Amino acid sequence: MLNVVFNALYQFQVSFSFLLLSAIGLAVIFGMMGVINLAHGEFMMLGAYITTIAATQGVPLVLAIVIAALGVAAFGAIVEILVVRRLYGRLLDSVAATWAVGLILSQGMLILTGPSMQGVSSPFGSFTVGQTSYSWYRVLLGVISLVLLALLYLLFMNTKFGLRARATIQDPAIARALGVDTPRMYTMTFALGSALAGLAGGLFALTATIVPFFGTNYIVEAFVTVIVGGANALLGTPIAAALLGAINAALGTKYGLYIGRVGLLLTTIIIIRVLPDGISGLLERWRMRPSGARSRK
Amino acid sequence: MRRGASLLKAENVAFVIFLAYLVVYPSTTDEFSIGNTAYFMAISLMALSLALIWGKAGILSFGQTAFFGVGGYLYGIYTLNVIGSDATWIGILVGVLAGGLVAAVLGYFMFFGGVNDVFVGLTTLALTLVLQTFMAQTAGPEWSVGEARLNGYNGMYVPQISFGDMALYGKPLYFLYFAIMIGVYVLLRWLAGSRWGYGLLALQENRPRTETFGYNVRLMQVQVFALAGGIAALSGVLYASWGSYIDPSSMGLTAAITPVIYVAIGGRRSLTAAMISSMILLQLSQSLASSAPEYALVIFGLLALLAVLFVPEGFMVALFNVIDRWLFRRSVRDTSQGSGEVVPGRGELA
Amino acid sequence: MSASAPGDGTLLSLNDVSKQFGGLRAVSDLHLTVRRGELRCLIGPNGAGKSTVFKLIMGFEHPTTGTITFDGADIRRWPTWRRARQGLSIKMQIPGIYPELTVHDNMRVAAQYHVDRGQMEESIERLLARVGLAGMSADLAKNLSHGQQQWLEIGMALSVNPKLLLLDEPTAGMGPGETEATARLIESLNADGVTIMVIEHDMTFVRLIARTVTVMNLGRIFAEGTIAEIEAHQGVTDIYLGRV
Repeated sequence: MLNVVFNALYQFQVSFSFLLLSAIGLAVIFGMMGVINLAHGEFMMLGAYITTIAATQGVPLVLAIVIAALGVAAFGAIVEILVVRRLYGRLLDSVAATWAVGLILSQGMLILTGPSMQGVSSPFGSFTVGQTSYSWYRVLLGVISLVLLALLYLLFMNTKFGLRARATIQDPAIARALGVDTPRMYTMTFALGSALAGLAGGLFALTATIVPFFGTNYIVEAFVTVIVGGANALLGTPIAAALLGAINAALGTKYGLYIGRVGLLLTTIIIIRVLPDGISGLLERWRMRPSGARSRK
Repeated sequence: MRRGASLLKAENVAFVIFLAYLVVYPSTTDEFSIGNTAYFMAISLMALSLALIWGKAGILSFGQTAFFGVGGYLYGIYTLNVIGSDATWIGILVGVLAGGLVAAVLGYFMFFGGVNDVFVGLTTLALTLVLQTFMAQTAGPEWSVGEARLNGYNGMYVPQISFGDMALYGKPLYFLYFAIMIGVYVLLRWLAGSRWGYGLLALQENRPRTETFGYNVRLMQVQVFALAGGIAALSGVLYASWGSYIDPSSMGLTAAITPVIYVAIGGRRSLTAAMISSMILLQLSQSLASSAPEYALVIFGLLALLAVLFVPEGFMVALFNVIDRWLFRRSVRDTSQGSGEVVPGRGELA
Repeated sequence: MSASAPGDGTLLSLNDVSKQFGGLRAVSDLHLTVRRGELRCLIGPNGAGKSTVFKLIMGFEHPTTGTITFDGADIRRWPTWRRARQGLSIKMQIPGIYPELTVHDNMRVAAQYHVDRGQMEESIERLLARVGLAGMSADLAKNLSHGQQQWLEIGMALSVNPKLLLLDEPTAGMGPGETEATARLIESLNADGVTIMVIEHDMTFVRLIARTVTVMNLGRIFAEGTIAEIEAHQGVTDIYLGRV
């Protein structure tokens, strides 16, 4: 019985951290700029490639992943300055443009490095509970995703950058009037989101094959998590990841991978219809609920 | 159309040239190219479907491939189960109606539920992926409708369009597809100039305001979505029967985005530009796939990026505009003084 | 639900209408009647609920309580488009023209449900002349000056042959010359039989056109009367100065 519970918890945790890590970079960008970065999957792929190349050159894993995050951050900053910046306010066009960037990236990587690359396997091995063996690394990913959330929370709540970022999210015009360099803020946010994508890519590189279409494994899940979560990356995304993770884990264990994914997608369609602002919208409405003092008399 | 708008403009001239070219083409070339061009015409219906929904109504849908798949699969299911001289023709109707119906239901769910703008794109994308994921796991024999095995990624065999026992191919098939494509094009041009079409233009710019002029905006959105879905389904039917085959990859992420890219490059606001440029881009994509396959998609990606950044109306539409301005000396931007500047305070009240 | 006109000449009436947004009461216990042929101004300090009244009449919002009757029909549950086809027309504060369409197409879009195809061109020309935009058919709406855009929008609001025309701050952003021209336009429309209701802040403008004035404050009707009566009313000054 305990084995069943442990297994369920483990599956949930794996789904949750997988969704959260995939989505957080996308969510930060969407929450700040309202931009949907369709190249997100390819940014993860870049992170995976940089990590793998560095690690096979002998760089310690942790450092390799950090380098990947920084590298993709720089690349993201360039994309923001060259492409995204021209498309502020043109949401559908930024969707199309970032998609094109992603396409160029994945095809470019195919041309440069070929159809696949030798990967690095995940460290730490496995442990058994009852009849089933589990991976330590996947548990570690769960821990990392929570630590990352905490660090992001500290960044946004306790630093000057975070303060300016939150001001810009709330009201860009006023933030600008108060002296925030909003274009620079957007570039830095895009870079942060890209760094998170690169980080996720590096972490996942140890669990998947390194191919130019690496990102396609995660992009759909990242999107649905961001849609369900809404614009609030710190609260909405983890709650969405938990909700969707539970659904995915439950359906996936019972009916298999495909049905798990179908469940995710159907949930997303329903949430778009019922809660267009996602869970963030729900939280916002709850925060703004009427109290006696508000009515006019 | 605008008062006094003549028919002589770049868009219409291009259409006439295009029409003439396609009529003459089969007499100048071989069997393979004729069949290949027929395939292009089948796919160009997807571009028309997007030009309608995105260009005329402002609704970006990634779901057209879902309806494409529904059309193809329903055609296959019907024609594999029903024998008869008319079977394939009724099958076409079944496919189109099925696609239109699914679109109508989804449209009702979305537009009467207040889902708009980017969320339509996301919902339709999610639906496409649901269908693809679902179809992908239908490989087993228990997944069949009557005589038709769905077959997952192994693909489903689909009968060709035929008169009784005689399957259509070569020139007759080419001209059938040609007639269908031109027929849909003419229908859409006519609709665009109608009261309904003008209403779509208006609701694309400002939905609530358009409602105040008496337009039942949400109903119109469902109508255009259903029509575009039916056209996409028709494209799927023609594609499936041309190749005698359909599988879930026709509903995948790439398949969902490709027609959007074609229309973004060519120009979504003009039905003519969408139709002609999609055929050109299909040809280009094929040529690249044989000569420099790795570069094909990179080039398309670059073209799409350049279009979105610098020529958002689309390269072909931009070309039409340039030709109109210089050759036919017509410009929407001229004031009555022809200076191109805003003339302040000119109005006087009677 | 017939459109037969009631004998007493009432075109629009709001009875006991209130509108609540969460904890906020935007409008309370509202009784408002507009007779055929009236030219009514609706004034009051910011946040008084004036725009909300227009939204309720047009169907952008539905009343929490109360009924709305227009031309004999209970329209409370009707969607906006249905009210528009019955003869309600509005020009709101935020610009409601189609910037990417030509002046001609703007007018055509507005008129399509009310004018036959055969008479469309003539009708458009006539209305454009009426609002002072003759000859500008082919211009893109976004290239017009601000004042011209306002007139275009009035022209569009007229295209639907309205029984009741709602104007929300029609002179916002206009200079004195344009304001006066707009006042004359509104008066001439009213003289032709269009019932008009105007929300305005510019008291000079209100004085130019008003016959009857309704003053709102804090979601309720505070006073009603001719412009002279209202100006003499101390309470009205008080509410504008925030003494209430």
